[in-house]
Amino acid sequence: MASLTLKGITKRFGGVEVLSGLDLHVEDGRFCVLLGPSGCGKSTLLTIVAGLVPQDEGSVLLDGRPVDRLAPRDRDVAMVFQNYALYPHMTVAENLGFGLRMRRVAKSAIRERVEETARLLGISELLGRKPRELSGGQQQRVAMGRALVRRPRLFLLDEPLSNLDARLRSSVRLELKRLHQQTRGTILYVTHDQVEAMTLGDQVVVMRGGVIHQIDTPEAVYARPADRFVATFLGSPEMNLYRGRLVRRQGRTFFEGAAFSLALHDLRPDLADEEVELGIRPEDVAVGAEKSPAIRAVVEMTSNVGSETHVHALLGQERLTLKTSVHTDLRAGSPVLVDFPLDRVHIFHNGKRV
Amino acid sequence: MNREDLETAGVRLLRVGGLVFFTVLVAFPFYWMIVSSLKSLEEILLQPANLGLDFRRIDGRAYYEVLFEHGFAGYISNSVYVSVATVILAVSLATLGGYAVTRLRFRGRTVMSYGILVVYMFPAIVLVVPLYVVFSRMGLRDSIHVLILVYLAQTLPVALYMLRSYFQNLPVELEYAGLMDGCSRVGVIWRIVIPLSAPALASVALYTFMIAWNEFLFAFMFLDTPEKFTLSRGVVQLAESVHLSKQLVMAASVMVTVPILVLFLFFERQLVRGLTAGAMKG
Amino acid sequence: MTRGPSTFLAKEARLAFWLMVPTVTVVAAFVVFPVLWNLWLSLKPVTLGDLRGASLFRWNPTLDNFRRVLGDPEFLSVLTTTLLYTVGGSGLSVVLGLAAALLVHGSFPGRSLVRGLFLSPYIAPVVAVTFTWSFILDPQLGVVNALGVQSGVFTQPMAFFSQRWLDLPLGGGVRVRIPLALTSVILFEGWRYFPFAFLFVLARLQSIPEPLYRAASVDGAGPFQRFYHITLPQLASVLYTLFLFRFIWTINKFDDIFLLTRGQAGTKVMTIKVYEYAFGRFDIGAGCAAAMVLFVVLSLFLIAYFRWIVKEV
Repeated sequence: MASLTLKGITKRFGGVEVLSGLDLHVEDGRFCVLLGPSGCGKSTLLTIVAGLVPQDEGSVLLDGRPVDRLAPRDRDVAMVFQNYALYPHMTVAENLGFGLRMRRVAKSAIRERVEETARLLGISELLGRKPRELSGGQQQRVAMGRALVRRPRLFLLDEPLSNLDARLRSSVRLELKRLHQQTRGTILYVTHDQVEAMTLGDQVVVMRGGVIHQIDTPEAVYARPADRFVATFLGSPEMNLYRGRLVRRQGRTFFEGAAFSLALHDLRPDLADEEVELGIRPEDVAVGAEKSPAIRAVVEMTSNVGSETHVHALLGQERLTLKTSVHTDLRAGSPVLVDFPLDRVHIFHNGKRV
Repeated sequence: MNREDLETAGVRLLRVGGLVFFTVLVAFPFYWMIVSSLKSLEEILLQPANLGLDFRRIDGRAYYEVLFEHGFAGYISNSVYVSVATVILAVSLATLGGYAVTRLRFRGRTVMSYGILVVYMFPAIVLVVPLYVVFSRMGLRDSIHVLILVYLAQTLPVALYMLRSYFQNLPVELEYAGLMDGCSRVGVIWRIVIPLSAPALASVALYTFMIAWNEFLFAFMFLDTPEKFTLSRGVVQLAESVHLSKQLVMAASVMVTVPILVLFLFFERQLVRGLTAGAMKG
Repeated sequence: MTRGPSTFLAKEARLAFWLMVPTVTVVAAFVVFPVLWNLWLSLKPVTLGDLRGASLFRWNPTLDNFRRVLGDPEFLSVLTTTLLYTVGGSGLSVVLGLAAALLVHGSFPGRSLVRGLFLSPYIAPVVAVTFTWSFILDPQLGVVNALGVQSGVFTQPMAFFSQRWLDLPLGGGVRVRIPLALTSVILFEGWRYFPFAFLFVLARLQSIPEPLYRAASVDGAGPFQRFYHITLPQLASVLYTLFLFRFIWTINKFDDIFLLTRGQAGTKVMTIKVYEYAFGRFDIGAGCAAAMVLFVVLSLFLIAYFRWIVKEV
């Protein structure tokens, strides 16, 4: 297994810069998730690391050594494609063994490795079939098997779960995590699904528009988002955001919003009188006031999602979403008093966290 | 019966009549070709109006004569040689070129992919005289191999275009997978692209075979010695030397026609796809 | 900045070069080069006798060849014949192809067989079909004339491919003079190439969405109206394109006419004239010039066609 380093990777298509000066380091054996909306360039980055597409500027290093001059097959990297790209004219066994055959591994060794990998993924009975005879989930396993059997230095996975139906997705996700713990491979995983990112990654890289917004552990990215985009991208339902002003009064800093004000811990004095945004996640909103002045909201509607209730309320003219238990007696029209615990509040100035 | 019913009945009648008309129009010449080839010379001369075939008097002599007394056995082998060689070369070169134009990035790529088709628009007659001049000067005129090259030049543009559109529809991830698994580009072509392009390759092969097998003008202009004649050239030679023995010319015609028609019948779907794809330019 | 990416692209370009070289060489040598050679030769006084000499390469341009071609007394009639043949043959083949496609569209037993059968005039070798039709229409030995005379339809055998004019009585004392050989050749052209139009129109017909017809039926349109208002407009672009392609290929046709009539009896088109100059009179220069003239005529048509069509469609 190898470590992966990207230095200043830039890529342009036509006149548009799809990737702008990206820097990233993934330690040996880590599971790194590239998270971002569609079109943010994450798949392009993957093809650049694989060597299928050349970058315009910057360098890719494996184990500290640049691999830019190497063809894909010499980089010892394996990739799992979004639509699996299994060779339709070969059986599953041939698909799995193809990479080894190209590297002139002995036939007996190929057979052994193929069978071992098939056992690991639970597809041993499928070895003689052709891809078109397999279900989506089975095809996906074969695609992963094709990467695993080569025992490469680095795994690249391009949204491998996106073509599976929801139930299959969560079980495969767990299996992926288990596989990673077993094999301890270095993985670069691309997805737009935040749940995958949170559950699978040791390290999450949030990307948008060809630029990295934050690199951190899943917990950190969720609890301490570096900017407004990261804060709203992660978390469902979305974080509540309110525009307002930081004001110093009586020696304390207050957030003055349209419908409420909140006393904050002492913050940077240079931000006095600045326009900021205050954010709080729905699950962090405390129902019931213990201190005054309380923040008043009126419930617009509630949705019972089975495990909890999402309450959509109006805070003045602005919206507030909060979560509460299914046994709540909040109904449309009922007033509710809420509190924003200070350790759960996020302040964003010019989009960045402060 | 309202107007709609009347019209629909009328349409159906028209349709049956029309189909019969076209079927007869298309089939009759071939019917006549076969039937006449099985008649004797006397029948041809004395009973020209006889539409049917007297089964007791079927005479296969025409075929025997044409094959062995007029050199058609040799012509057949020449045609087979030329056509098969053209097909093999055309398919190989068009595959390589088609792949290059589709997947590889190089300067002049757009020029190649469309220029190759513009070239196809030039009439054979504009090519014949200069080629005749050049070949005569170089002493290359009476050569079957040169003929193969000429046919190659005629069929390559369309073949390349046909394969190009097919390659464009192959998912590129398959090739990426191959590249990552350790194939070189050429390896990808050989192990992945070609096996998956079988239907398109078959279409190209059939189309090229048809062109090479049926070709007349260049064979007529460039081949001088009878031993080298292809079938098309041979039929004309035969017709010029026998004036009344139409049954011989018909037998020869049957021999030229049957292989291509049979091939076509077997692979109809491929050929139709090939023809429509090939000529559906831009 | 690393040099990795540029060697990547350079390698690709190099591979592309080698993959394209054979194709480009063959096509350049046997198509591009001859075309340029043709232009060259058309501007030089060249005869068959000059073939071996070095005079081929001397730069002594002259317009004499063109003068001879354009000043040839036959020139105008050849040009007219060419245009008549081309327009008539292309038009007929497209119309017949349209008719055949309409007949075959929709399912009925034996459909794929019929479809296969209809393609045979196009697939069969040109020598076979021309000799067969010559035989069928032969004045002495052909079945059409034999039956025609026998049944009284013909007063005398008609030499379809070797008679220039035919006086047809239309009844009521009116007689019309048609160019027999030319007409026969045009009819042959329609027969031989209608499958090409048939294929494409059929493919287009099958892609017209069924709901369109249903909606029209509901709106009260009968079968003929449906054809006129729905089918025909959808086919318009295919028909125009088909006519264009057939025009280009027909104007360049040599084989068919040569084999049927050798260009006699009023069927001399430009391609035949090229052959006559170069191999009949051994006037290579004139032959090439005539080929160039043909090319120019084609180009003029293409320009006119695109201008007119772009306005229409």
